[in-house]
Amino acid sequence: MKIQTLEDNYLITLVGPPNSGKTTLFNYLSGKNYKTVNYPGATVEYSISKIQKKFNIEASILDSPGIISLASNSPDEQVSIDALYSHPTYGIPDLVIVTVDASQISRHLLLAKQLIQSKFKVIIALTMVDLLQRKGFNVSTSVLSEELNCDVISIDGRSGNGVDELIKVAEQNLQKNRITGAEKPIPFDSNVKLEYLLDLYKEIEQIECKAISKVVDNGKQIDINGANKRLVLLNNGLDRKINKLDQTSLKIDKIMLHKVWGIVLFFLAMAITFTSIFWLAQPVMNLVDKSFGYLSYEALNILGNNWYGSFIANGIISGVGSVMIFNPQIIILFLILGLLEDTGYLARGAMLIDKPLSKIGLNGRSFVPMLSGFACAIPAMLATRTIPNRRERLLTIFIIPLMSCSARLPVYALLLAFLFPGDKEWIAGITLAGIYLLSIISSVSVAGIVNKLKNKIITDEDQSSFILELPTYRIPKVSNVLNNSYHSTKAYFKKAGPIILVLSGVIWFLTYFPDYNPKINTVNLTREQAGELQSSTRLANSYASGLGKIIQPVMSPIGMDWRVGVALISSFAAREVFVSSLALIFKVAGDESTLQSSMLHEMHKATIGNTGQSLFTTATIAGLIIFFVFALQCMSSMAVSRKETGSWRLPLLQFFIFTSTAYLFTFIVVNGLRAMGIN
Amino acid sequence: MKTAADLKYGETGIISGIDGSHPSSRRILEVGFTPGQEIELISKAVFNDPLAFSVRGTIIAVRKNEASCIKLL
Ligand SMILES: Nc1nc2c(ncn2[C@@H]2O[C@H](COP(=O)(O)OP(=O)(O)O)[C@@H](O)[C@H]2O)c(=O)[nH]1
Ligand SMILES: [Mg+2]
Repeated sequence: MKIQTLEDNYLITLVGPPNSGKTTLFNYLSGKNYKTVNYPGATVEYSISKIQKKFNIEASILDSPGIISLASNSPDEQVSIDALYSHPTYGIPDLVIVTVDASQISRHLLLAKQLIQSKFKVIIALTMVDLLQRKGFNVSTSVLSEELNCDVISIDGRSGNGVDELIKVAEQNLQKNRITGAEKPIPFDSNVKLEYLLDLYKEIEQIECKAISKVVDNGKQIDINGANKRLVLLNNGLDRKINKLDQTSLKIDKIMLHKVWGIVLFFLAMAITFTSIFWLAQPVMNLVDKSFGYLSYEALNILGNNWYGSFIANGIISGVGSVMIFNPQIIILFLILGLLEDTGYLARGAMLIDKPLSKIGLNGRSFVPMLSGFACAIPAMLATRTIPNRRERLLTIFIIPLMSCSARLPVYALLLAFLFPGDKEWIAGITLAGIYLLSIISSVSVAGIVNKLKNKIITDEDQSSFILELPTYRIPKVSNVLNNSYHSTKAYFKKAGPIILVLSGVIWFLTYFPDYNPKINTVNLTREQAGELQSSTRLANSYASGLGKIIQPVMSPIGMDWRVGVALISSFAAREVFVSSLALIFKVAGDESTLQSSMLHEMHKATIGNTGQSLFTTATIAGLIIFFVFALQCMSSMAVSRKETGSWRLPLLQFFIFTSTAYLFTFIVVNGLRAMGIN
Repeated sequence: MKTAADLKYGETGIISGIDGSHPSSRRILEVGFTPGQEIELISKAVFNDPLAFSVRGTIIAVRKNEASCIKLL
């Protein structure tokens, strides 16, 4: 075992406002060789890494969520600030590197000043100096350093300029602090007086005035302060120029934030996002499907038709494969979300949708959590921590399970493939878009109803607020987006994978045992028919069937039988298990075609009991889709909802309200369609 | 009295003070709306709410109700 020296334990935390260049610097120092850690309560995962050897410093570096002040305004800021004072896993930082965007120096110095006042060991990394220079200004790090009484080094985390110097200074500070001894940072009083903030800004403006100078054409610099003494008006003019906005961003915003076009483009962007999930993924999905079908076939061939052959081929490979098929769709969804975030559009989306959402008791800040809800409800619920108002936050958590999460995709894709086979795939795509729309409409209606019920369901009241920075548009770095979606997808499968594997095993066991070998009369039957009769007789005598008969009374009113019932019950652990359960119950595997097509083949043949009536018809498939739109079939979401809201009240209400609504609507749809003659 | 909520599209104004009785006044100050700063109305969302202002070299979106606590000269 490697013995950790004291130096090994140095922790340097990167702190700074959003978009000040923390992650860029972090990536440069870590060489992307990091592990993501779940920052307690952060919407995204944050990373910790040892600083690369070539920098000659024995320390770990922790990236952190952006904050603008030490006084928190929302639960996520509170967690970030608490973790800064003492991270639950890594403790108090030995050194804090504050990133300060030089082109927005007055705003970004606020946090730096507060950290210094609170007696953190601080050095400042001045970023975006190139942007300041482009505006025609220069900044003196020595003046800043003197005024702030801490080291200031200008860097560019993209090229690595100045980073060596930064690390050298960090090392010196660490050594110095080790001698002077650690002093605990002083907790920051959240109820700061407005006068304090006004004074702080005044102080910062004076520092800014001393440190910033204007570059004139011949390369000489004019001190703003000197000019100020001579001509007050000129100083004003200079000041304004330093606050000049990025002109490209402004031009894009003329359209993106336009009163009419802004909202049109907003809905267009959302529509493209969701349809592309389906179109882009299709070819890859077919490939995955084929490979698993082949694997399962080969496994059965090699291992033989006995219990372990069946367990591997049917239980494991088909079970896991029927869910893996949807991997491409999930990756694409994360990819698009990452792209939207990195360009800076998500903040605009939140602004555009704030007013409509506030009408139904939500907030513009509910937008990003709701959007993430299309990937997975769990990170989405965590993301609601950015909503300062508790009532709005609880309401957002309440409706998130209605957003069409990626776990539903496998189910919809299978059911739609059944309804619209082969050449009608494009109709399936449109129907899927319709399902997404339905999920949005239903979540919005539920929010409206719950909001109207005033305090019946959500009892908290609080001041509502929406203050959000709209960052300059940036061209997203493809490697960053790819990296992030890789991490999100991995996290998703880590979470879902074990459940799917275990449940596939359980369902396989229930459908295979008690290993009943029926004697059947094979006279007048083809080999294929005989095989089918045998497997259906086996299933009818299995443990699963015994369990299924208990729930038959619940399934009959919605036109389905116990086999669908068993699959539905198992889907309450995680929705995608529905598909693998169906695959097992209808004994897919053993032929060379794709998993999905042999599954669809079996589903087409399935009848209810001895009635000869088809089990899967347009009516029952539509009913199943409706069931999945509404029902809360995800134990992990309920657990997170419990944790985020502080009691079982909300998750239980969610469960009963959404699931009974699902059953009711399924009943109406199935029987309504039948009454209209659509079977 | 004129407030930031009264600005027209593209109009600028100089902040004279912040109404400290408004619950959001602290955050308004923290993001950079301080007396003496020049702000400009960059955009209004549908239904004219929220409003986006340029302040200290960035754009901040603020609800109309909250913008009304930013008093102008
Ligand atoms: N022009 C310029 N851009 C930078 C600099 N440092 C970082 N960036 C960019 O600023 C954006 C935000 O940086 P990021 O590290 O994600 O900020 P974070 O939110 O603090 O983690 C990214 O697009 C970076 O490429 C810099 O020194 N100059
Ligand atoms: Mg970052």
